[in-house]
Amino acid sequence: MNKTLLGYVPEQSPIYVVHPFVKLFFMLVVSLFPIVIYAPEWNALIMLVIILLMWYSRVDMKTLKIYVPVAISMGTIILISYTVLGGNHPEFRLLVRFAGINFYWERIRDGLVVYFRILPMIFTMVFFLSTSRERDVIVAMRFVKIPFVVTYVFAMALRSAGLVLEDFFIIRQAEQARGFDTTGKSLWYKIRKYIMYMIPLFALSLRRAEEFTNALVARGYAFTGEAARVKRPDYVLTHYTFKTLDMSLTAAISAIFLIILILRYGYGYFTLDTSVFISWLSRVL
Amino acid sequence: MSSIIHIKDFTWRYISADKPAVKNINLTIDEGKFVGVIGQNGAGKTSLAYAIDGLIPGQYHGVKEGEVNVLGTEVEQFHKGMLQQVVGMVFADPEAQFTAMTVEDELVFGMENLGMSIPEIKERLEWVCTLTDMTPLLAKPPYEISGGQKQRVALAAVLAMTPRVMILDEPTSMLDPYSRKRVFDVLGKLKHENKMTVIVIEHSLENLIPLADEMILMSHGELIRHQETHEFFQDIDFLLANGVYPPETPLFFHELRKRGYYKGPIPVTNEEAIKVFPCKTGG
Repeated sequence: MNKTLLGYVPEQSPIYVVHPFVKLFFMLVVSLFPIVIYAPEWNALIMLVIILLMWYSRVDMKTLKIYVPVAISMGTIILISYTVLGGNHPEFRLLVRFAGINFYWERIRDGLVVYFRILPMIFTMVFFLSTSRERDVIVAMRFVKIPFVVTYVFAMALRSAGLVLEDFFIIRQAEQARGFDTTGKSLWYKIRKYIMYMIPLFALSLRRAEEFTNALVARGYAFTGEAARVKRPDYVLTHYTFKTLDMSLTAAISAIFLIILILRYGYGYFTLDTSVFISWLSRVL
Repeated sequence: MSSIIHIKDFTWRYISADKPAVKNINLTIDEGKFVGVIGQNGAGKTSLAYAIDGLIPGQYHGVKEGEVNVLGTEVEQFHKGMLQQVVGMVFADPEAQFTAMTVEDELVFGMENLGMSIPEIKERLEWVCTLTDMTPLLAKPPYEISGGQKQRVALAAVLAMTPRVMILDEPTSMLDPYSRKRVFDVLGKLKHENKMTVIVIEHSLENLIPLADEMILMSHGELIRHQETHEFFQDIDFLLANGVYPPETPLFFHELRKRGYYKGPIPVTNEEAIKVFPCKTGG
């Protein structure tokens, strides 16, 4: 199994046939689809396609379970925001009045539409992070000629996130070993005492920054001066070739997006008025 | 043999410290030598190493006196990043020195900085992977492998740059005995096959002694002894007085000599000790 940013993918996965840039392009472009697609059934179709792609890529589908509570919480919050906290709108169709709160059809509809527009974006992101390693992100960025220093800073940001988390656990264990433990204490206590972790974590981060700078200097990296003018070869890119398949996939993703734009703004597709699901729900409610 | 490092009256005080970290260092190291640097914590070993690699005064604020010359040029005269083509440095904490997301990227990072061509990088990568037995780890993130493997990656990453001088600052301080031995096995190959100048700051003397041509002892910021390894371990009392505990073999012979049971030179390795006793078995 290869560790990806969000999970594990088997070494024999077909996803490795695809150039990292295509995965990044897919994530960036497909995330835009729900911006122009309002009809929930179309967004549900995007989610279904992404789930199929995950299955085809042999992503461990069990890991997706962890997103179910997130999806439910997010849906609940959106629905509450649109209904309970939605205010009074006499111009809307009142469905029910409960505990002094008016539940309007339009507010429920809008909540559902927003929810179904956010979900595909998250699915796309989960698909990308589940099938990509840090290196893929870097390769994709370098492939489109993003300057080395930018991709490097990005890579280090990814890496330092893990390091800070690791340092945090070490500090917490060290403090627990010396009798300071917030386990089982009230939330307010934990918030107040959080500074006990933050100060050593900050000090440790400064030290790590110093060590890291030394390591960069020791490896001959320089932001300025003669060494900075050296033309850097990009060895990592030699492992990846942008094949006909990659070109076809990139073209297909672009074409689909273009078609969606034309259908949406030229012919009025994907709107709420044309939504089969919304009209069915309207009749049911 | 020509000298590759020449240090003259070198004193360094960190800006925040009252006393110098190193003072009045005079040292010459010949090319191709394997030098062990020992001394108690705070003796100034790391500061000396940083001075040779240009991290002092480049990355630290402080007051410098004297000269630190590498290949006849004062380290401050080197353009940024140029000294590191000559002097490679491996730090004590392997994790702190990782600069990339996979072992392979880590190994090629330094070579890319030097502007090497892709075929040259490929060739050196293969060489360093064979030398350090790194091939199975290439695709892994460097922070997900074992401590010993991490230190070998750090060592290999610097080796791939093929500097003329390698400095290792307590490279095995975080390792178990087996991993420690594997690191020293690599250093042994370097000494015998590549004739690289190697300076190792180390507390694990039993691994260091068999490889070291010369030993340096530092104490309270001063270089108090610099001798050929064999000669260095003849004065055990001096070493003990300065907080150095030699391995069991020289200590044992030192005791024998003190009690009058042994008169010859103190052997520093087990192999040398065995030769002292010309016993024959099987008859």
